[in-house]
Amino acid sequence: MIEMTRRGLIGAAAASTLLPRLAFADDPQMVVGTWGGDYGDLLRETVDNAIMKPMGIQVLQDISGPVPRRTKLLAECQNRRGSMDVACLADFDMYAATRQNALEPVTEKIVPRLSKVLPFLKKTHSVPQIYSAHTIVYNTERVPTPPKSIHDLWDPKYRGKIGLSDFLFTTNTAFAAIAGGGSMSDFGPAKKKLMEWRSLDVKVLASTEAVAAALKSEDIWITIIAAARGYMWKQSGIPLGHVVADEGAFPTVYEVAVPKNARNKENALKYVNAMLEPSAQKAFAAKMGYVPTVSDAPLDPALDKQVNFTEAEQARFWTPDFGYLANNQAEMLDFWNKDFKG
Amino acid sequence: MAIFILPAGLLVCTLLIAPMLMMARISLNHYDAMSLMVEALTAENYLRAVADPYYQRVLATTLGVAVGCTLVTVLLAFPAAYWLARMESKWKSAVTILTMFPLLVGNVVRSAGWIALLGNEGLVNAALQGVGLSDHSIQLLYTPGAVIVGIVGVVLPYMVLTLSAVIEGIPRQAEEAAANLGARPLTVFRRVILPLATPGVVAGSVLVFILCMNAYATPVLLGGPQFQMMAPAVYDQFSRVSNWPFGASLAFILLAVTILMTVVGSSILGRKLRA
Repeated sequence: MIEMTRRGLIGAAAASTLLPRLAFADDPQMVVGTWGGDYGDLLRETVDNAIMKPMGIQVLQDISGPVPRRTKLLAECQNRRGSMDVACLADFDMYAATRQNALEPVTEKIVPRLSKVLPFLKKTHSVPQIYSAHTIVYNTERVPTPPKSIHDLWDPKYRGKIGLSDFLFTTNTAFAAIAGGGSMSDFGPAKKKLMEWRSLDVKVLASTEAVAAALKSEDIWITIIAAARGYMWKQSGIPLGHVVADEGAFPTVYEVAVPKNARNKENALKYVNAMLEPSAQKAFAAKMGYVPTVSDAPLDPALDKQVNFTEAEQARFWTPDFGYLANNQAEMLDFWNKDFKG
Repeated sequence: MAIFILPAGLLVCTLLIAPMLMMARISLNHYDAMSLMVEALTAENYLRAVADPYYQRVLATTLGVAVGCTLVTVLLAFPAAYWLARMESKWKSAVTILTMFPLLVGNVVRSAGWIALLGNEGLVNAALQGVGLSDHSIQLLYTPGAVIVGIVGVVLPYMVLTLSAVIEGIPRQAEEAAANLGARPLTVFRRVILPLATPGVVAGSVLVFILCMNAYATPVLLGGPQFQMMAPAVYDQFSRVSNWPFGASLAFILLAVTILMTVVGSSILGRKLRA
C-alpha cells in the first residue's frame, strides 16, 4: 500500500497542476482573444478547425467583450509574456494598442496574405480582417425614396422616426459633426446638430438589439448603423436598405494583431494569415455581412450587391482621425450623456 | 473561536477589500486617453464628480429611486410578511419558497419579462387598446415608473422574508392583550406590532436600500438610455471611455453616500418607529 504524507500530498497536487502543460508540450497551442457569438463560431469553424487544426495547431478562444480585451492588452504590454497570441479588436481599439507599442509589426514577409489586402485598409501593426461602414439604414417601405444626404437625417418629415444607438455615440457624433460642417478632426460643430436632433425627437436606443426591435416594430424608420448589420436584419425579414450618403460614411474595420509579448508568435502569425484566406473571408460576408478585406475573395454577385461598396462609395468613406477620437472621446460621451440625452 | 471567522474573513479580505484598496488607489490617478491612466495622487476625479451638476443629478435620481423603492417595498411587504408570519397551514414552507421564487430568476431575464409586458407592443398596451381604454400605445417602458416597478419586483422578497422572520417573533398574545383592552386593529398595528417589528423594518429597509442604490441591470434595461443612475454611470466610465480613475471615484462616492444614508436613515427610522 502506498503511504503518502500530508506534505507529499500537497507536493503531488502542486505538481499535478503542471500536468496539462507537460502533456500538451508537443501540441502547439495558441490563444486568440476574440468576441463570442456568431463571430467566435465563424472563427472556430473557418479558421481554427478548417485551417489551423490540419497544421496541428490547437486554438483556444479567450472570449470577452472588446473593452476587457483592450484593457488586458494594454495592461499586459509591460509584461514579459502576455495572455493572448492573437487579439481581435475594432480599428479604434487597435489604434490605442499600436500607440502603446503593444503590437508586433506586420509585413508581407511574415504575413504573406497581406499582399492581397485592399490598400486603403492597410496598417503597420494590425491586419484588417473584415470591414463595413456605418451608413444610413432605412425602412424601404416607409422611406420609399432613399435618403441621399446626411442632411436628410435632420429633415422634419422624419420627426420621431429616427433612432440612434446609444452604444454608437462616437459614430452618431461623427455624422452630426460632418452635417454641421466639421471634419474627422473637428467634432465641434456636432454639438449644435445633436441638439437639433434632440428637438426633432430623435430616439436614443439602449443597444444594437433595441435598434433592430425598433426598426422591426416601425417605431423608427431610419438609423445609423453598419451596413453589415442592416444586411443581417434584412435577412431576418425587416425591409431595410442602406445608403452611403453623398457626404460619406464612417468605415468600421475589425482588425487582428499579434501582441509583442505573445507566447507563440510563429503560430499567431500563421493564424493572422489564415484569417485572410478567401474561404474564411467569404464565410464572414455570407453570415455577418462584413466585406472581405482582400482582393481575391470575390463574393456571390447577389451578396456582393447587398453588402459591398462601390469604388465611388469607398472613395467617399471618411478617414477617422483616431488620435483626435481618443483624445476627445471622454468629452464626447459627456456631451452625449449630459446635453443630448439629459 | 476566532478561527471560525478565518475562512470568511480571508475570503472578504482577498476578494473584496484588496480590490477595493486597488480601486481606491486608481481613483487618485490621472486619466490619459492613450495610456488609460497616469500614476498620480490627485483628488481631481472626486472634485469633478462632486462639482458636476450632471453627476449631482444622477446621484439625486439614484437616491430618489432608492428611497422611493424602499418605501413602496415596505408598504407592499408588510401585509404579506404579517400573513406569512401568522400562517399556520401546512403550506407555509411552500409559500415561503414561492416568496423566494423571483430570486431564482436573474435580473436581466426578469427585466426582459417586464419589457414584454410594458413595451409599446407589449401585453399591457395591447390589453389597454383591446378593451378600448386607449387608441394608441402609451409610453410605459423607459420611464422612471418602469424602473421603480422593476426594482421593487427584485427586492420585495428580501423585505418580506426579513419582516416575516421578525414578526414571527412577536408573541400573538401581545396583539390579543391589546385587543382585549379595547384597541382597534389599526391601533394594535400602530401601537404594538409596528414598534415590535421595528428591527425587521430597519433591517429590511437597509438591505433593500443598498440593493436599490446599486441597481444596474434594471435601470439600464427598463429606464432606457436617458434614465441615469449611479451604477450604470460608473460602468459607462469603465466600459465606454476606459476612464478608470473617474469611474473608480464615482464608485467610491456611491459607496460613501450609501453608507452615510444607511447609517443616518436606519437611526432615524428606528427612533421614529419606536416612538
